Amino acid sequence: MTAEDALFARMETRSIPAAAVDWDAVYVQHLPGIYNFFRYRVGDGPVAEDLTSITFEKAWRARARYRRDLAGFSTWLLAIARNVAVDHYRAARPQLPLEAAASVTTGSTPEDVAVRRSDLDRLGALLATLAGRDRELVALKYGVGLTNRAIAGITGLSESNVGTLLHRVVQDLRARW
Amino acid sequence: MENDDKFLQEFRRDPPAGYARRLRETLREQEEGAPARAWRPLLAAAAALIAVVAALFAFPAVRAGAQSLLDLFRVRSFVAVPFDGARMDKLRALDRDHAAMMIFDHKDVLQEPGPPVVQSSLAAAAGPAGFSVAAPAYLPAGLALDTVAVSREGRARLSVSASRLRDLLAALDLNDVDVPAGLDGQQIAVHTLPVVIQSYRSDRHRLSLIQARSPEISLPTGVDLPRLGEIGLRILGLDASEARRIAASLDWRSTLLVPVPTNASSFRSVTVRGNPGLLITTTKPDGAGADRRRAGTVVLWTEGERVFALRGTLDPEDVMQVAESVR
Repeated sequence: MTAEDALFARMETRSIPAAAVDWDAVYVQHLPGIYNFFRYRVGDGPVAEDLTSITFEKAWRARARYRRDLAGFSTWLLAIARNVAVDHYRAARPQLPLEAAASVTTGSTPEDVAVRRSDLDRLGALLATLAGRDRELVALKYGVGLTNRAIAGITGLSESNVGTLLHRVVQDLRARW
Repeated sequence: MENDDKFLQEFRRDPPAGYARRLRETLREQEEGAPARAWRPLLAAAAALIAVVAALFAFPAVRAGAQSLLDLFRVRSFVAVPFDGARMDKLRALDRDHAAMMIFDHKDVLQEPGPPVVQSSLAAAAGPAGFSVAAPAYLPAGLALDTVAVSREGRARLSVSASRLRDLLAALDLNDVDVPAGLDGQQIAVHTLPVVIQSYRSDRHRLSLIQARSPEISLPTGVDLPRLGEIGLRILGLDASEARRIAASLDWRSTLLVPVPTNASSFRSVTVRGNPGLLITTTKPDGAGADRRRAGTVVLWTEGERVFALRGTLDPEDVMQVAESVR
């Protein structure tokens, strides 16, 4: 049984028909959060895109089993994304550098491009030094944009613990920035 | 913390537009419940070709006989047709969401197949599939069954629109192609049978095996199949002489044409378990993300009444070895 199957098995019996969901709206709403979750979690570039694709394809493949009444779609999608990230690190594939940073600098001057790329590289390098749990908290907070309470609900940590851990991580990153 | 974490907030970016669009198209194929997920992108194009050809099966002479339908098309063999991928992009751009409806103006869904339903095992899939599910006896190390799903039977009836076909030909600058008169209102019936989709995964690879009895397309009797196939090939981008030559050489009642993009694929005829098949290898484009993962190998073959497609990120030799073990 895969991690996703275990997740589905915990969900309740009543489901909504897959056809009743506006999947265009779901996609538009959730793509930026999942994509940025992976950018903060594993780094910018093609790996983040690949893992985002895997997450959505898993979710879409099993969308008939999505239970709206027990878990919000966002929570469910994030659970899949977290498992995909774990699988990614377990596979011990080499990390790619932040080489795609230039793609976000359209319309900038060469100086702006250089500065922004430098910042992205620096921050990417800093994030790569974080422990797995700390980096996941940063990804959920800044990549997805969740509140501390929502992060607590997903990770099983207390809300105050999430706040404390994030404060320490941000201060640490800030000091090295 | 608000002032302290600005540098972290500024790391957020919107997904690249091209990547977001490609992923959405990939997901939409799943929503449509078609077995195209593992056949794509090649058989999606083939389906468009079949739809185009099928829609052209209507002449004044056969209008009176339209009530008498002939079981016209069942897949027995495959033939690759190289084509310019830019043409398929153009067709998609004309009507991305409803490509097959470019030449139909009415669709009656008589039986809705719905999305594929995940089954607990291969044995459990046999019930909704209506047949004993074949599976590979050999898998490269690390690959294991991840999901098995069954798409149910479906039936639909489509009405042809001559004006839409004219618009399509005009949009493609095919001014030398005549639209058969008396096209409007002619009907074709499409019957899709249960499709079993097996997905295998490892840390490095993906593999999907699709199997089903051939879909059936019923059309009015008394039609000039090679002529209509020729028009379909022109829509796909072949020049007039090449379209005429290919159309005249095929058995249009049993051959599924598989359009193969010339800039990203190679293909060859193969034998799978003693049956003729087609092996297509797609090369990696330069783009990132979803497209990169699409690179791989597809082998298509028929065995008895059943059609198989095996697609994976493995080397062609490994895919063929797996295909030979399917039983």
